[in-house]
Amino acid sequence: MACTRDKQQVINQYLDEEMTLLESKQFEEHLHSCPDCEKHVRELKKTTAIIQSASHFEAPKDFTAGVMDRLPKQSKTKRWQQ
Amino acid sequence: MDIVVKKIVREVKRGNQDAFAELVDLYKDKVFHIAYRMLGNAHEAQDVSQEAFLRAYTNIESYDENRKFSTWIFRIATNLSIDRIRRKKPDFHLEDQVSGTDNLDYHSQFAADIDLPEDQVVKLEMQQWIQDEIMALPPKYRSAIILKYLEDLSLKEISEVMNLPVATVKTRIHRGREALRKRLGQA
Repeated sequence: MACTRDKQQVINQYLDEEMTLLESKQFEEHLHSCPDCEKHVRELKKTTAIIQSASHFEAPKDFTAGVMDRLPKQSKTKRWQQ
Repeated sequence: MDIVVKKIVREVKRGNQDAFAELVDLYKDKVFHIAYRMLGNAHEAQDVSQEAFLRAYTNIESYDENRKFSTWIFRIATNLSIDRIRRKKPDFHLEDQVSGTDNLDYHSQFAADIDLPEDQVVKLEMQQWIQDEIMALPPKYRSAIILKYLEDLSLKEISEVMNLPVATVKTRIHRGREALRKRLGQA
């Protein structure tokens, strides 16, 4: 865990890239000297990397046809207008 | 892209039902994927994502063309997924046989890369593990995490999909991320 509750917030700002360059530099200096915060940041980075590595599934092949079959039936007159 | 989508939506609003198929084709993979990640199984994901498109069709008049169609359809799909989770329907699994097929389970429904069998097994196990961890999250954190880290949406887009202030979305992402860290961080 982060060394203090406040630092937990700072870690979120750091990971969300909501810091100025100076702030993030200062925080990185803190990370060098604080094993608790360093571990916390490392674990969070790893966690998001794992989640981002999840495969993207495609819809089944008959998906669109399945939707179109279930649409409310159109009257013939409406079809003719096109 | 957006101009194309606008044109199709107008066609649909004018009563051209066939044009709706183009909209479905454009968004079906993302919608299905979100539903799959929310629900954890392909059968329910297909059911919910097809229902989302049906609702979009019947409510197309209420769609505001100044907003992204993706935001609107994602919102319908995530809401339906959360409803489904609340109703706790009996689970389907990837291992279940696909109805109307001889011997196909749901794994076969996904386009898979051709790999060595061992690689594939490891990959599937890894993927199953990730999904299990996502499923362990409470639904309100689950949707935030999926939209942020799997769909790569901006905080503003997520706030529009979820109909919540950006600050609330951030909190949910932080809490979801923290919950995942506790389980995945040491892995």
